[in-house]
Amino acid sequence: MSAEQVFDFLVKASLDNLQEIRSYIDRVGARLGVNESALGDLRLAVDEAVTNVILHGYGKLDGIVELHMQSDGDAVVIRIRDRARTFDPSQVSAPQLDTALRNRPLGGMGIFLIRKMMDEAEFLPLPGGGNEIRLVKRGAIQTGI
Amino acid sequence: MATLNIMVGHAQGNVPVTILRAEGDIDAATHKILQDKASEVIEAGSTHILLDLGGVNYMGSAGFRAIHAVSNMLSETESSGLTKSRHLKLLNPTDPVARVIKTLGFDVYLDIFQDRDEAVNSF
Repeated sequence: MSAEQVFDFLVKASLDNLQEIRSYIDRVGARLGVNESALGDLRLAVDEAVTNVILHGYGKLDGIVELHMQSDGDAVVIRIRDRARTFDPSQVSAPQLDTALRNRPLGGMGIFLIRKMMDEAEFLPLPGGGNEIRLVKRGAIQTGI
Repeated sequence: MATLNIMVGHAQGNVPVTILRAEGDIDAATHKILQDKASEVIEAGSTHILLDLGGVNYMGSAGFRAIHAVSNMLSETESSGLTKSRHLKLLNPTDPVARVIKTLGFDVYLDIFQDRDEAVNSF
């Protein structure tokens, strides 16, 4: 497997397309030789990130989501770009995992899951508007020795 | 779009137990199907629910939000302490789903079983 293989995907920002996005991760993951455990983590992190873009970024507005998935040594790097309003993850409260379910607020688990599943998760505003989410999962690909 | 089907079954243990068998993916597009079906059976009188996740290959945070909401619907009379739910339990989650259950700490508050009869008789 070469060190740099890039796969792009452009899709309408709709919850109806989440399964198609997960399928894209699976297809490219298979091409890159991503192991099953890492693939599950990538599928979850991307699904959560795109869901946030759709629900909290675009809201009721139409938009698109661009995905770029590539290998980098034994790592997988995924960039998710949108043209939605700027998103600041520091404004999102962490879920209260040590609190009984009935005393926790509903939701608020997406960003937490992204950070738990990825080795790196950066949320960057794009020049001219929109956001880029950069996800890195290391040890995802068996490399030749 | 992902599909999610919820099948409703019943079993008699120490109490009547409603079994919700989910098949498909539970994401932000489908989670309300689970939540609405649970709400429907609770309104019809179900007080103890076993959620069978054996047919769920993918579940994101929206699915956990739905489970959380179902737990809240069933637990109105429970204490607010850090005890496991006596009204909602989980059956046979697939490995990726089980991993997220643990990551989100839901295993602390919800019993998880691999065997259906054992689960039914635990209520």
